[in-house]
Amino acid sequence: MKKLGEIALGIVTGIGGFLEAGSIATASQAGSEFGFQLAWVMLLGTASLACLMEMTGRLAAVSHRSYADLMRERFGVRFFLLPLVALLLVSFLSLAAEVGGVAITLEMATGISLRWWAIPVALLGWALLWRGTFGLMEKGTAIFGLVALVFAVGAFKLHPHWPDVAKALLPSTPSHDRARYWYIAVSVLGASISPYLYVFYSAGAIEGGWTVDDLGVNRMTVSLGNIFGGALAICVVVVAAMVLAPGHVKVDSFEPISRMLVTPLGEAGFVLFAATLFVTCFGTTLEIALAMAYLLAEGFGWAWSQNLRPSKDARFSMTYTVAILAAAVPIVLGMNPFALTNIAMVLTAASLPVTVLPLIVLMNDRRILYRDTNGWMSNAALVIISVMAIALFVAAIPLQVTGGG
Amino acid sequence: MLHLVHEVLDAQLLDRHDQKIGRIDDLVLELGDDGRPRVSAVLIGGSPRARRMGSWIAALARLFGLRETGVSRVPFAAVRRIGDDVALDVEQGDLSSERLERWLREHVVCRVPGSAGERK
Repeated sequence: MKKLGEIALGIVTGIGGFLEAGSIATASQAGSEFGFQLAWVMLLGTASLACLMEMTGRLAAVSHRSYADLMRERFGVRFFLLPLVALLLVSFLSLAAEVGGVAITLEMATGISLRWWAIPVALLGWALLWRGTFGLMEKGTAIFGLVALVFAVGAFKLHPHWPDVAKALLPSTPSHDRARYWYIAVSVLGASISPYLYVFYSAGAIEGGWTVDDLGVNRMTVSLGNIFGGALAICVVVVAAMVLAPGHVKVDSFEPISRMLVTPLGEAGFVLFAATLFVTCFGTTLEIALAMAYLLAEGFGWAWSQNLRPSKDARFSMTYTVAILAAAVPIVLGMNPFALTNIAMVLTAASLPVTVLPLIVLMNDRRILYRDTNGWMSNAALVIISVMAIALFVAAIPLQVTGGG
Repeated sequence: MLHLVHEVLDAQLLDRHDQKIGRIDDLVLELGDDGRPRVSAVLIGGSPRARRMGSWIAALARLFGLRETGVSRVPFAAVRRIGDDVALDVEQGDLSSERLERWLREHVVCRVPGSAGERK
């Protein structure tokens, strides 16, 4: 029963947890500019993320050690600096983008500029982290995240030609604007394969006290959660393709996206969109701030647990405090959250090799995983993801220059 | 047999009460009277860590005021157990490498409401 509960929680987390500022923005760009055509990239990103989460979850369940912990110990402090700096940088940009996402929904609701909202949002997030436990946070974001299902309702009410959507799940090359197409593809991958997610997930497995007995739960949670999450993200592409693409609406802010659901759902669509953006961005804000604290605490061997009171893990608590408050600064200074989101997603895509390639070594080390090292299928998947990660590293910045903006 | 670089260096350290107290940032080797080297101490702290990251990182760390005073040197004889973690027979409160933790706890964290007591 307990395991069923955990799997259910994992699925519910996947539904709301997958969508956030980055995936909503990039999926809407994809749909508005290329119709259903980029749906396959969403599928690729989701499948890759599921593989990486399964592996880091397995690593934590078998060895009782988190991803960052093993990176430091297995590769030494000199190498560790590389993923540490890369992850802190892209996580911080994403964190600022998410705080901006929450602030922009408050601007939509109240008419008061988002610049005024950034600090209150950061303070509210910080207070929840300071007072709440891991379980409370996980369940809260999961349950409120269900509002994101509104995108599935919207997609069905628009009656897309589903065989066309299915066809788009197979890779295809663009008929126009090649640079723009690949630029959006890179952003979509950066938005789906977020490294903070596997740092957070493996730390969560440690917090939950996972053992070898939880490997089944890990596999089910990751696959079902990502299937639901990925399907929902594809629904965002579908809605954008049906509503925005016919009028050639260019998505360069959250403004056009926010009206997207009005077509299928009436004025309620606007409110439901705002609620979705608010809840999912807020949940992600908490996750990223915690992931940054986990990363530093595990890497440097500090005491850490979201279940401890801050006085027992002062450096850990101060890390998420500083991170979440600092993330409000770019928004207060007037940086556009949408532009910030795009930059964060492209840099995330570029950063993937440093967090993915070490897994090839870790996942095949019998001293860490004993009998649960990667089989040939997991290794094949990991090699494919690694090749893709290297391609993203090489292509991301040039594509930002040629296809961005 | 113990692989120093693989199994000991960078390992998680625990104190007498199994509290996390950083990682083995460096090891000190000494030549004994018989002329054979043996591990004499573990170093915990920012500057030995920075030295292992490379010379320019170490220089940068010095520039930003990282001092040797924040380094703990614990005799290897204080090792209680070596496994996934390395447990030492020391008190967290006695380590200079834990000064930042103590300072943050006393001067920042404990002044904010809700920082102590039990989690709900």
